[in-house]
Amino acid sequence: MDCNQFKSNVFAFSEKTLEKDTYQAAEHHVSTCISCSRLLSEYKVLADIMEQEKNAGPNPFAATRILQRIENEFYKPKGLTSKAWMRVLQPVAITFALMTGILIGSYTARQDQTPVNKMASTSENIEFLRSNLFISDFADEDKLLVLNK
Amino acid sequence: MRWKHLPALIALSNSMTEPELIEGILRRDRHAFQYLVTRYQKQVIKTACYFVGNMEDAEDLSQEIFLDIIHSLHTFKKSSSLSTWIYRITVNKSINMVKKQQRRGIMMRLESLFRLTTGQETGKEMEPSVSSDDFEQQEKRELLHAAISRLPENQRIAFILCKYEDQTYKQIAEIMKIGLPAVESLIHRARLNLQKHLTYHFSEYKKN
Ligand SMILES: [Zn+2]
Repeated sequence: MDCNQFKSNVFAFSEKTLEKDTYQAAEHHVSTCISCSRLLSEYKVLADIMEQEKNAGPNPFAATRILQRIENEFYKPKGLTSKAWMRVLQPVAITFALMTGILIGSYTARQDQTPVNKMASTSENIEFLRSNLFISDFADEDKLLVLNK
Repeated sequence: MRWKHLPALIALSNSMTEPELIEGILRRDRHAFQYLVTRYQKQVIKTACYFVGNMEDAEDLSQEIFLDIIHSLHTFKKSSSLSTWIYRITVNKSINMVKKQQRRGIMMRLESLFRLTTGQETGKEMEPSVSSDDFEQQEKRELLHAAISRLPENQRIAFILCKYEDQTYKQIAEIMKIGLPAVESLIHRARLNLQKHLTYHFSEYKKN
């Protein structure tokens, strides 16, 4: 066996899955060739890694989590989940907010249509404003302005 | 929580035969579910892990796999063993997850490329703390996983089932629903492809 032949069999050699004759020839070659024995040592590290990974077990709590998931799937009563509730409540809330906005808007618009002269034509209005806004003393020109409107 | 007496219940259900188990699951019997999970969790999680590449994702995926097993058990034809059928579901689900991960990976690479070209900060990648002694081992592990993940899908499935799960060629043929010669060919080609990739890497490594 030469180096190229060894290289084309190195993986199977490291796994010991070669036919007996080929295995023996490869074994003989690698014992006399530094380059191929280096390559083989790299493959042996990989074989060790694969063996470690094969023996690694899953998390001991994994089974409990799987069973809990099964419990939730098959035994918990299926009401509306919080997500489902959100899906129902969100559009309702938005519609409610919109309707309220429209109602308030149309009400204030109606208020605005009241004739201005009716609102400020008398000194009663000024008295009303004074008492409600806690304004102690209106300036005379303000009074005149309002009265002249 | 109803599963807290798990060990005792496992002991109780230890004697379940395969037909009893199947019948119990179809009846939605808790003992049957417990037996199913304790009997097959290692097989499912480990196989999933070889495909998805990490234990955490494999454990999450195993929950979906077990739900799938329970939901679709009525379709189990009994022409193969339950274990073979479970392997088939595990492999299919894992391959689907890997495809999703790959799509997500492509999107993430595109996003990071976009951030780079627009001059945004990419942020530091989280790196596991590896001591210098472990570094070479870790590097080789990554090299091996990269080589396996590059294998064509069928070669990867056959190789993982053979190498990591110690399944015979006959069992692999049943799991993959292909003939024995096809399995032999897949595993042979998988070994050659891995060898090509790994030997190339080792020779490049020596040059540097
Ligand atoms: Zn040589």
